[in-house]
Order: sequence, then C-alpha cells, then structure tokens
Amino acid sequence: MRVLVLTIVAFWLAAAQASAQASSQSAAYRAPRSFDGHADLSGIYQAVNTANWDLEDHSPRAGTMWETGAIGSEPGGQSVVEEGAIPYKPEAVAKKKANFDHRRTADPEAKCYMPGIPRANYMPYPFQILQTPRGIMFVYEFASANRLVNMGKPEEAGSDTWMGTNNGHWEGDTLVIDVTGLNGLAWFDRAGNYASSHLHVVERFTRVDPYHLTYEAAMEDPTVFTRPWKISMPLYRKVEKNAQLLEFKCVEFAEELLYGQYKKQPSK
Amino acid sequence: MPACFLLIGILLQAATAQNYAPPKTPWGDPDLQGMWPGNFGVPLQRPENLGTRTTLTDAEFAQKQAQAKRQAQADNEEFAAPDAKPGINPPSYWTERGTPTRQTSLIIDPPDGRLPALTAEEQKLRKEARGGKGFPGEWRGEAASYEDLNIYYRCITRGILGSVIPVVYNNGNEILQMPGYVVFRNEMIHEARVIPIDAASSKHPHLSSAIRQYMGDSRGHWEGNTLVVETTNFTDLDAIGSNGAGYPGDPGHHSADMKLIERFTRVGPNTLNYQATIDDPKTWTKPWTILIPLTRNEGYQLLEYACHEGNIAMGDILTGARAEEQKKENDSSK
Repeated sequence: MRVLVLTIVAFWLAAAQASAQASSQSAAYRAPRSFDGHADLSGIYQAVNTANWDLEDHSPRAGTMWETGAIGSEPGGQSVVEEGAIPYKPEAVAKKKANFDHRRTADPEAKCYMPGIPRANYMPYPFQILQTPRGIMFVYEFASANRLVNMGKPEEAGSDTWMGTNNGHWEGDTLVIDVTGLNGLAWFDRAGNYASSHLHVVERFTRVDPYHLTYEAAMEDPTVFTRPWKISMPLYRKVEKNAQLLEFKCVEFAEELLYGQYKKQPSK
Repeated sequence: MPACFLLIGILLQAATAQNYAPPKTPWGDPDLQGMWPGNFGVPLQRPENLGTRTTLTDAEFAQKQAQAKRQAQADNEEFAAPDAKPGINPPSYWTERGTPTRQTSLIIDPPDGRLPALTAEEQKLRKEARGGKGFPGEWRGEAASYEDLNIYYRCITRGILGSVIPVVYNNGNEILQMPGYVVFRNEMIHEARVIPIDAASSKHPHLSSAIRQYMGDSRGHWEGNTLVVETTNFTDLDAIGSNGAGYPGDPGHHSADMKLIERFTRVGPNTLNYQATIDDPKTWTKPWTILIPLTRNEGYQLLEYACHEGNIAMGDILTGARAEEQKKENDSSK
C-alpha cells in the first residue's frame, strides 16, 4: 500500500514538474486577452533571421547576379530546422540542388507568386494577425497574400492552393493551425528547399512576451522527406507607433523577368 | 411624377437605414461581418433615355427578367451551336449573370446617373497618354509589351472600386472585424484591405503623401451605424470601372489626388449598402457617387484567386502577337 502511495506521489511530482516546465513561459507571462477570452496574438510581426535565404545552416555566399554586388549577396545564418538539416529522401536531394542552381529565375519569390505556408511567415516583409469572430486573418505584405484561418468545425481542403486550407484551434494560449491542400509549387526559401502537394504543415503561434511570438511549423511529406521535421523561430512585433502594412504588389517588378523575352523589342 | 417617386424612394431608403439596428460585435461596434458577394447586372452609367429615374418600371423589369431567363437557358446548353465562333473568353456557363434588380445604374449622383464631365486637363492627358495611344483599356490585339495591357490583364490589382464593382465571376466580398480594425476582403486577385478604425482619427494619421499605393491608404470611423472609410495616397495607375480597368469606351483613369469616401451601412439583416463617393477635381468636374447593394450569402465560398500565378494568357498574348508579326513578315516576303 505504502509503495503504491509513494509511486503515485512520485508520478504526481514528475507530472507536476513536467507541466511546470512546459508552462514556465506562460507562468512568467500571460498574454492579454482577445474579445473572446483567448490569448491576443493580434499585431504586426516580422521575422529577423536568414530563414528566407536558407532554412538550413549556411555560410555567407555571393548572390545570383554580380551586378548587384554586396547588396545581392547572401548573409550566413544558422539553421532554424530543429535537427539542423532537412531529412530529404535521396531522390529529392537532386531536385533541391537543381532548384538552388536555377534559383534566380525559378524561385517563386522572384516571380512574385504567393509564398505559401510556412514561408510567408519568415519573409523579410511584415504581416498582420487579426483575430475576428469569423476566424483569424493573416494578411501578408508580400504579394498581397492572405489567409483566413477557420476556427470552427474543421473544413476539408478543396482544390490545392498556394496558401492552403487553414483549420485552427487553441491549445491553451497557443494557436495551432493545421494546413493542408497546399499546391506544392511554393518553396521554403531562396535556397530551393521544397516539398510536394502532399505537404502537411502544423503551425504553432505562442505569444511569449509583449513583443514576441514563438513560431513553430512541423512539416510532413512522405514523398519528399524520410521523416517529419520542424522549424522554430521568434517573430518580432512591430512596436513603431505608426506601424502598418504597406502595399507590396510585386507583379510589375517581376514582369520583365517573366515576359521580357516575348516583347516586340525583347530585353537582353 | 418620376421626381416624386425618386423622392419617396430616397425617403424610404433613408427611413429603412435609420430604422434597422444592426447587431453589435462583442465589443460594441455595429456588426457588418459576413459574406457579401456582388450581384452582376447593373450598368455603371444609366441609359440616357431613363433620365433621373433610379428604378425600372414593372414592364422594364419584367423584360430584364425574361432576358435573364433566356440567358440562363443559353448558359445551360450542353453543346455550342455549330456556327458558334470560338473566342478568348471563358465558356458561357462560367459567368455569374446575377439576379435582376430594378436599379438603373450604379451611379446615383449626379442625379442623371451619368459620369460628370472630365476636366480639360484630364481630356488632354487621356488623349496624349502613351504617345497618343491612350491608357490601356480592353485588349484590342496589340501587344508589343505587357505594358500594353491593362492592370487587370496583368493581374496587378483591380483597385478598390474595381474590386467591388460586380463583374462576370468571383464577386466574393467578405467583411471581418476586430476591435480597432475592419478587414475588407475581395476575392479576385485576393485583396485583404486592413482598415484602422479610429473615432478621433488622430491615432492613425494618413501615410506621407510620398507613399503611393494602388489600394490607397484607408482610415475608418463610425457615423452611427455606418462605417465611413476615407482613402487617399492613390497612384494614378489603376482605373475606375469593372476590374479596375475602366468601362466600355472609357479607360476610367483617375488622378493620384483622388479622395475616396466609402460608406458601409447595413439596411437590413441581409442587405448592406456599399456607397462610394469619388472626389477627384483633377479628373472630374464634380464628385460622383455609386451605390452597390450587397446581399448576404453565407453559403458563398471565397476561393483563392491566384491570378498572376496562373496568368498563362499573358505569355500567350505576347507570343501570339509575335507569331502574327512573323507571319505578316513571311507573307509579305513571298
């Protein structure tokens, strides 16, 4: 009997310790509340890292056009992939390499295509989270991309899209978004990291203090990766008094790249 | 007599708008949220013979309904007529024809439902644009460059009004609210305009005039149950009219100094009046106002409209024009 009691106590202590660890951040900080009582994540955020150049560890390197000099070169950066490298299947490595080699013209960012998920969240452009009674709206400055996260009964993905079918729910103060129905045409970064239309992303947004969200995205795509993998990074809140999203309709900046060769007087 | 009807109509409309109390959001603002797709079929300008009459007579309306019925039958035909000419437009059944209404024009002011006169400055500008070719309107087959096509063909944007004025498909509009913000989403070319709401309008002053945007810079405030949104900081690169690309016979060009005042009013549980006043003294000799009644439809699904990403047409138009030039050259050297 005493052994049983001790065992129970030991379990209870271990459980209490684990939960204390898990909630150590939230114990120290409780996010303000939205109108519906959930954590208020609304605001304008931006990543401050090199994930959009390359999710993985990378040294500084020259850009794709010598004409732009140091301005177009790429800063070195540490991996935001939790286990360091993306677990590509052997046959997928070649495609990634081909993407990298052709990145100047093949990167969907260069073409001003919608960035997809998760890339939209760590591009060098701000985005705004708006919590509304009809769902949680993400509005991105880049290419006027946006997505409405359904917080009601989960909806099945219809046709594949760039920004996916987004079903969200709360786990405590963490917003969890299940993203399916992605079209597989978006890249993860300028280094050509990619997935297919089988990609399934589970994102987690947690407000850890007044000025930061922690962003995590777990990726699963058995046709490209040997196992699921995860990225995580902080997102920084724009605290400028006049912070607002500006317009970045980049189509007109990409037309020469896309169509210049078809003009009557083709560009060189 | 028509003037009398008009007066009664305006009074009735005003009375309804005042009598209807929209529900409130949890934080106490009038609740405009919902799916409000546009209804295609009302011309921007009123046919001149209708004068100041804002609504169709019973006979005119019956005729419009009969026409819509015939069109629906044609749209549902399984096979094209053997002599049908193939065109570049999508098949007939793609088109949302809309539910016929009695409204005679989107323009409600000036009272004749017609665009006010252009200023002399604007007339000159339109004549001289692009070395005398004028602003790009509907595509007429000429395409030396992508810049010969209007901003809709280029999938850049349709501008604020071009995104709301109902067209042949993908007319979805959705309004979302949170404390301090209203989001107005338009389906085609995926716009999501974030409008800060500020009673004092001092918390969010407009952007510097050095910053110019296709969709401008919007600030909102409440006047009773009406959301009033004032937008400035435009470019002069988009145009007013369906798809932000003008309207038949007119490029719809406006100046970068345009000021747009939008008024969103719920006049019933399922009707939202969208009213917009275009104030651009550089372009038009006086301000003008359009009214687009929107009907709530929660069954409407707003889909991702990846216009630029799927713009196969642009490459085809340009390569087609090059092929045609090549053919002409070959034919002439024979």
